[in-house]
Amino acid sequence: MRRRALVICLALTACAGVLGLSRSGPQPFPHRKHATAGIACTRCHVGIDASPSTLHLPDDTACTTCHTKPHNQGACLGCHAAPGALAELAEARDHLVFDHAVHAAPSRGDCMRCHVGIADGDDHLRPPMATCFRCHDHDAARDARRCDACHRGLEDTRLLPQSHLAHDGDWMREHGTRAAASGDSCQSCHRESFCADCHGKTAPALPATRRFADPFGASVHRAGFTARHSLEARAEPGACTTCHSPDRCAACHTSRGVAGDQRRSPHPPGWVGPAAADNEHGRQARRDPVACASCHDGAGQSLCVGCHKVGGVGGTPHPPGWSSRLPMGALPCRLCHTPGRSP
Amino acid sequence: MRRLLAVAAVAAASRADADPLRLRADALSTTAAPAGLLTLEADGSPGPGLAAEAVVWTGSLADQARGDVLVIALRAHTADGRASGRIGRFVESLGALRPIHVDGAAGRVYLPLQLAVEAYAGVPVVPGLATARAWSWATGGRIARGLGDAGSIGVAYTQQRDDGRLTSEELGIDAGTALGKSDDLGAKLAYDLANPGIAEVTASASHRSGALRSELYVSHRAASHLLPATSLFSVLGDVPAERAGAVATWRCAPRLDLVADLGARRVDRDVAPELVVRARLRLDDLGTSALTGELRRDGVGSDMWTGARGAARIALPHALAVTTELELVIPDHDRGLGAVWPWGLAALAWDDGTWQAAVAVEASASPQDRRRVDVLGQLSRRWGSR
Repeated sequence: MRRRALVICLALTACAGVLGLSRSGPQPFPHRKHATAGIACTRCHVGIDASPSTLHLPDDTACTTCHTKPHNQGACLGCHAAPGALAELAEARDHLVFDHAVHAAPSRGDCMRCHVGIADGDDHLRPPMATCFRCHDHDAARDARRCDACHRGLEDTRLLPQSHLAHDGDWMREHGTRAAASGDSCQSCHRESFCADCHGKTAPALPATRRFADPFGASVHRAGFTARHSLEARAEPGACTTCHSPDRCAACHTSRGVAGDQRRSPHPPGWVGPAAADNEHGRQARRDPVACASCHDGAGQSLCVGCHKVGGVGGTPHPPGWSSRLPMGALPCRLCHTPGRSP
Repeated sequence: MRRLLAVAAVAAASRADADPLRLRADALSTTAAPAGLLTLEADGSPGPGLAAEAVVWTGSLADQARGDVLVIALRAHTADGRASGRIGRFVESLGALRPIHVDGAAGRVYLPLQLAVEAYAGVPVVPGLATARAWSWATGGRIARGLGDAGSIGVAYTQQRDDGRLTSEELGIDAGTALGKSDDLGAKLAYDLANPGIAEVTASASHRSGALRSELYVSHRAASHLLPATSLFSVLGDVPAERAGAVATWRCAPRLDLVADLGARRVDRDVAPELVVRARLRLDDLGTSALTGELRRDGVGSDMWTGARGAARIALPHALAVTTELELVIPDHDRGLGAVWPWGLAALAWDDGTWQAAVAVEASASPQDRRRVDVLGQLSRRWGSR
């Protein structure tokens, strides 16, 4: 019984560690402990309020001023700083236009005015943008979608929006809806090639193929998409044309020998026939006309027109109530509706 | 103090404008197509308010050398950012309308009252030396009105013509808004004016509450309206494909995210449930090592399938990492194409910030290939901060 309890305790401890519920390794810097001891921020962050001031972290010298007997020879921040905080600082140093010295006077030396919550840990040393906007009017920059007043080289950062347009959930599906009204915001962080990597007609290979060693990178057509592409295409008729031209299907199928062979039909039995039961092609064509167009558009349309022209055995392909703004003499109307004859 | 602020702002702006030229070269080699691929990317700022970008590639496929330009664009904007323009080859995305890859020009002007006007004109990008195309030129525009920090609404219009004949004419309406700190709404509608009817509608509403984010989504797409109006297949009428569902993303522990997506699809008379459950566990605070697992039930009608996917990335010393990705797909009806379609990839990667290299083995069994094993290799080099 005691052994079982011990095993359970060990397992729970291990799970807590793996899930990040209990921290092992580097710990957040104990800002709270230092603040309650009455130590001014600038005592460790020496020179942060002097211009020009780059974003920095205190070095070991600042620590050993008080902690005269370090318990080992390693860098203090190697253990006493959350790894995320160090990465965040490095990113901010390269990509944020900011000078603490400029902010020292307006904040009257009260660092906590911006660094709200720093006493709770250093997971987020960097104040959120909303903190900046408490004092800085950004309406003009926002209206012109100009981020470069504060951000430098946003395209190179790994920052994601924290609140609105947050790229979480199923962003791959969601991004089209969100980007419709915010396309100019997207350009703040993404270069032209970011869109073209997937939506470009001349993309040679998708990001998932080009960066095959990153299984967590967002990309369409991940993993074994080739195997399941026909199932996915039939579940989302027309979706493929978001990026691909309809003839892309035929081009690939022909190169792989799946289609383009005039001697055999890729369609199942019962596709076309004299009886209604033998005419599955009509139902399938209405479901996904893009799939038909991928092979039969252009010159291939003559195959359809043979039966479906006015007076032909195939009857009208239009659904009840169908209308078009196109004149009868225009394409594709004139293929079936011979000019001069009744419609 | 104001003078100090102004000097600091100018100094900062000049630093921002002085971005160096950034280059990247990627070489990919696989035993599957494309057998070899070299991609070169460059971007930089030749002067204040100017930015240029180019991505070109060359590759060999079945002993045939090919090459093309993915992007080559010059962007310019005024000092206050209120007017901007692009010229070259780029993807134009105009509000609710489908993005198109064009060789052309586009411009945007921000006007008072939070109005924005944008327009583009271009000819279609055709891969390689192919001449097949659905249209020969396109033009369009969008007018949008900002809603302060809350979002914006916009109306877009585009038409495409082929030798003077109208092949596509669409009207789009888009809206995006943030309600408070935790709610986002987005919606778009594209209406086909050539063959009157709704081409596509999507809407999404999300809510954040602490570690939980939830989203409701719907979409409606009529494939016949996505074809050029000159296509015979555009006359078959509207049989829309619809999809609706809800997604919940929950950070249930500092390193563990759970995602559940429950929805339904309808295509013609077929209605089918859709289910995705995904878990992602970061093995360290930065997520350099991580595991993910996913179960999926998808498809519609006789094309339903069940899938499982797992992936792992384990960071090793010396900037090395081992990654693997496995997938199993089980179609409800195999149609003689195999009852299970497995796919797997194992890779060893190295990234020192400037150089990247990776090798991988990919193995699969699919309807296309009963058994297949490929080897992939990649080498990349970055210059500048790209």
